[in-house]
Amino acid sequence: MKILIHLLLTFWLALPGAIAAPLASEILAASDAIRNPGKPFSVTVTLTEFQAGKQVDTSTLTSYSRVQRQGGDFASLIRFVLPLRDAGKLMLKNGNDMWFYDPASKATIRLSPQQRLLGQASNGDVATVNFARDYAAALAATEEIKDGERRTRMAYKLVLTASTEGVTYPGIEMWVDAENSRPLKARFFAESSRLLKTVYYRRFQSQLGAERPTESVIIDGLNPQSVTIMRFSDYVARDIPPTWMQRDFLPRFQPE
Amino acid sequence: MNTYTHAVVCSCFYALSLTVTPALAADDEMDALSLESAPEVEPTAPRNIKWFAEGAWGSASQRYLPDSRNIGRASIDFSYASRLAPGWRAVVSDRLDYFEPALAGSDAAVNSLREAYLSWQPQGTDAVLELGRINLRYGPAYGYNPTDFFRDGSLRVLTTADPFALRENRLGTVMLRAQKLWSGGSFSLAYAPKLENQASTHGWNLDVGATNNRNRALAVLGTEFSPKLSSQVLVYQENGQSATLGFNMTALLSDAATAHLEFTRGSEPDLRSRALGGVATDVTRNRFSGGVTYTTTSKLSLTAEYHYNGFALDQAGWTALSATPGAPFIYLGEALRLQEIAPRQAYLLYLTQKDLGYKDLNLTAYLRLNPGDDSRLAWLELRRHWANFDLSLQWQQNMGSVGSEFGLLPDRRVVQILGNYYFR
Repeated sequence: MKILIHLLLTFWLALPGAIAAPLASEILAASDAIRNPGKPFSVTVTLTEFQAGKQVDTSTLTSYSRVQRQGGDFASLIRFVLPLRDAGKLMLKNGNDMWFYDPASKATIRLSPQQRLLGQASNGDVATVNFARDYAAALAATEEIKDGERRTRMAYKLVLTASTEGVTYPGIEMWVDAENSRPLKARFFAESSRLLKTVYYRRFQSQLGAERPTESVIIDGLNPQSVTIMRFSDYVARDIPPTWMQRDFLPRFQPE
Repeated sequence: MNTYTHAVVCSCFYALSLTVTPALAADDEMDALSLESAPEVEPTAPRNIKWFAEGAWGSASQRYLPDSRNIGRASIDFSYASRLAPGWRAVVSDRLDYFEPALAGSDAAVNSLREAYLSWQPQGTDAVLELGRINLRYGPAYGYNPTDFFRDGSLRVLTTADPFALRENRLGTVMLRAQKLWSGGSFSLAYAPKLENQASTHGWNLDVGATNNRNRALAVLGTEFSPKLSSQVLVYQENGQSATLGFNMTALLSDAATAHLEFTRGSEPDLRSRALGGVATDVTRNRFSGGVTYTTTSKLSLTAEYHYNGFALDQAGWTALSATPGAPFIYLGEALRLQEIAPRQAYLLYLTQKDLGYKDLNLTAYLRLNPGDDSRLAWLELRRHWANFDLSLQWQQNMGSVGSEFGLLPDRRVVQILGNYYFR
């Protein structure tokens, strides 16, 4: 019976002209605007990995991001800071155009999405993905959930389905704070409907003109004991030219 | 499928997925939310210096002598890049290797000044001008890079058989270089003058003669046709020879696969003539390298490559060369110096496995195959990472029949342990 109700609900939400549809897209756009500064910026990201509650690794990188086209996705140039063996290495992600550059070997290697997931920056996209551009949103429910600070919040639950090709996650469930449009939680699914990761957005602070989440808690879908915390600090608005976001710039990059 | 149908199907799909996907236990999520991030790195200026020490000790079993020989090495690797003033950047990169015993024909201590150059980017432009010793490298292939035109003579010492790690030791070429970038492309010009006549074997020599023993110029046009396809067209000229044309390309084939290729066509003496002297006439030939990399969800990445060098000996030529005592060694030595493949055709399989049964334990391995004589070089490394220290075990086996490319090499098997310490 529960399944039947859910199916009927989602059928109804998918109908053209359904009342909730424009609202859902507005909610999503407002949530995107909180996660993503509207101008080019750099931010330091500290990643802390846990297994069964025990810290097993930590790394630091600096991300330089800008929107390449109006309303488009963020392109990011990521510089590895720690651990020391990786210091100075670069990763570029401009949609499906992904490169890794090692200044020691001068090797610039094109990465497949699968290859990128091997690296430390694999979780970076859950922070700067422009959901409103790549996904169709439907409002599935308004419900109470526990947020990243473990407080009870009233939230819109959105079901996002990919509307463009080449996205990393074909489906997403997202909870957005009904009071202030803050993103609270998201569940990311693979094509096979397998849960890949659950993300909580928390520690909202004033950064670049808005209250933004400065921490993401990422819980592995297959192994919930595997947790990564991404902390975002030192937001700085920067002049980042669009020419940075290509392979041939990588050997020239010098951090500021 | 229209948008509406797509939305309906997707909605059904996710409604059903709610019932089949194992939901995270709420307790697990609450446990995760109780975790705290590691302390942030203090906001300081980016580090300009990177340096590490490396030590290696091992043993090589010899093909022509009954006893194994011990091998040892200590190295210091240093690189520095800094912004001097708005638009100005300085780069210095150096490596000092001490071998025990010393490599044949070389000092025990060998210093490689890899880079030392100034870079100037006028404010508000996407152009850059660079002058000095610059390590300019092109070509996406793993094991053989025909479009890497400044590769010959650039290795003072061989510290590893890993083609990727080998590139970390190479000397830059003294040149004046200009590059202009635009969205989706770039154009660069480089001119490297002749400064010395020949390479030096003295350990502390800057060895400009290894890289600047003739006038050379290179023009490169880089184009990104789409996020999935990019290429470089290269025109290379050195004095006394006609221009060599080059082309390389990379493509994203799927979520898990990429492809790459390199191609050059030019006229020059063949490899045998360059190695052994005699009458050297220019011949027009092609070089090619192409491969595919596939990555699995289990963190295994496998690259398969095909290599072709039209200037190298075919199997009949190699057999004829072997009739002259010592000639194959000279030929192989010259191929190594020029960073060419010695046979006409070769294959490479290159594999990396991250977190091999244990976090931060990585496996890298490759196999080079000469299909002409069926000789093979196998190399494997197990590397364990700690915060500032790496420990690795390397194994190399040169296999083949008597007189084959890899069956000829003096070392039959090399096993060594390496430690790297990265300084703060």
